[in-house]
Amino acid sequence: MNPEEKIRTAPVLNRLVLLRVFGRTFFLETVWNFERYLNYGFAFVLLPAIKKLYPPEERPQALDRHLEYFNTHPYMASFVLGAVLRMEEEKQALPRLKHKQKEDEINALKVGMMGPVAAMGDSLFWATLRPYCGLLAVTLVLARTFGSQGKAWIIPLIFLAVYNAAHLGMRATGFLQGYRRGDQVVLTLRRYGFQRIIRGLRLASILMLALLIVFANLSPREMDPGLFVLKLAFFAAIAGLFTFALKKKINSSQLFYAVLLFSLMLAFWPDISVRPAAP
Amino acid sequence: MGSFFKTGRLVRDESIHPAGGDGSMMPQWPLLSLLLAFLSLDILAVGQFMMSRPIVVGPLTGFLTGNPGLGLEMGALIELIWISDLPVGAHLPMDLTILTGVAVALASELSGKNIPVDAAVTYSIGIAIPLALVSMQAELLIRKFHVKWMHLAQRMALASRLTAFEWVNRAVLLEIFLKGFLTAAAALTAAHLVGPAFFMFPPRVLEGLAYARWLLLALGCSAVIDMLMDRQTALYLFLSITVILSLAVLVKVQETFLVALTLFVGLTITLFFAGKGESS
Repeated sequence: MNPEEKIRTAPVLNRLVLLRVFGRTFFLETVWNFERYLNYGFAFVLLPAIKKLYPPEERPQALDRHLEYFNTHPYMASFVLGAVLRMEEEKQALPRLKHKQKEDEINALKVGMMGPVAAMGDSLFWATLRPYCGLLAVTLVLARTFGSQGKAWIIPLIFLAVYNAAHLGMRATGFLQGYRRGDQVVLTLRRYGFQRIIRGLRLASILMLALLIVFANLSPREMDPGLFVLKLAFFAAIAGLFTFALKKKINSSQLFYAVLLFSLMLAFWPDISVRPAAP
Repeated sequence: MGSFFKTGRLVRDESIHPAGGDGSMMPQWPLLSLLLAFLSLDILAVGQFMMSRPIVVGPLTGFLTGNPGLGLEMGALIELIWISDLPVGAHLPMDLTILTGVAVALASELSGKNIPVDAAVTYSIGIAIPLALVSMQAELLIRKFHVKWMHLAQRMALASRLTAFEWVNRAVLLEIFLKGFLTAAAALTAAHLVGPAFFMFPPRVLEGLAYARWLLLALGCSAVIDMLMDRQTALYLFLSITVILSLAVLVKVQETFLVALTLFVGLTITLFFAGKGESS
């Protein structure tokens, strides 16, 4: 192999730069826009590394390359960002002739990864973990585990701790794995088996929902068992109706006002509302 | 029927809240607006640590208005109802930070005046929803405007002025903070002005508003069912309810223990599936 073509694999980015880049990942969506979504954030995050890797006259073009359309899940973007950092390093170690090819590879990696990674992040964080943490918090509120006014801060703290343990863990792992593996990070992502974790978490969420339904209908006072069963059945029927409405794309805000209307009808219904008998 | 609804745990035992706010949200509005503006940054601009979620915003607002317990309960209810409103793709979800902040502040204000708290809670959320929708529109405008910021930074960068990236980022953060502050201040003022209409309602309307609170919990559960469940898991939910109900009613297992047990079983299930993932 021609010495000119030999690839230098030793990283040129020091820990401080990597730390600065990682810190900036928290601002990935600040300039979210309808034209190219996360493109600005992506370039903004990479800026310290670009300053380190490129001579001043090449920096504008390097930054401009990363201002192309980019859209993915903000936490999972760390995998892509880490991999792109490694590939940018590798590019600078290549002879100038091969720079264009490497740039195309970087773009291909970004375009190829953003969709699948976004789908994973949306399913794992938005559609599974956040609802699970929310359900846990709501169940704790209903259970009156930390019922008194002075302890109202405990439940939000539990919610934040559980969620962010996973969130920050994923950001850090993604960034490090991406940086270590470069374009091979796709294989690492496959190994994590996110789909199975999502499946397990969804079952755990349904279990939490069952607990929530029971707590919502249990009375703190003694209650007639017949009335309790009737109440649970009514609750199930109403919930079924609402689920049907949600499936028909009626949103929660519209249903909120429908509930208000229904409740007012109940209150004005003369035969249903139980009132004290006149003396 | 009235007793049927009032036996639920979401409806308070005491119809008059014992420790309501001090009567008005207006003395705290600058502080409340600052808090909501700061938390609004978490929605998209910084980190997304979920500090802008209702379950966090509720007690924080309640703390400022002198009623953290009410804030927590309202935050939980709002969290559940809008749990399935996800920020996927270009979809802009409801501004739950403004919704929760305004609803809790208004409910605290109303509950300091010896009226049924359950009715005040439902009414406050009902008032806060349109205000949150207005805030969403403001967010939409801001995001459209970000295109201009992006192009400006790109032009400056191509002219070798890379520092533009830094100050554009700071300017946008300030812009989002200001937007949060102004929308929160406007929404709180509007809620404060509209709020007193509540006292003109006849008792039956208040009764109806109080009933709604239990039904809203059913709506929240439906949102979860709609998002998480399919035909295969319906039986799993039914069995889970039966087992938990048996433990709670027949065996009289304490609530805290039930939560711990559910967490343990849920964690075991998740780890079981995760383990299978690693081996495949």
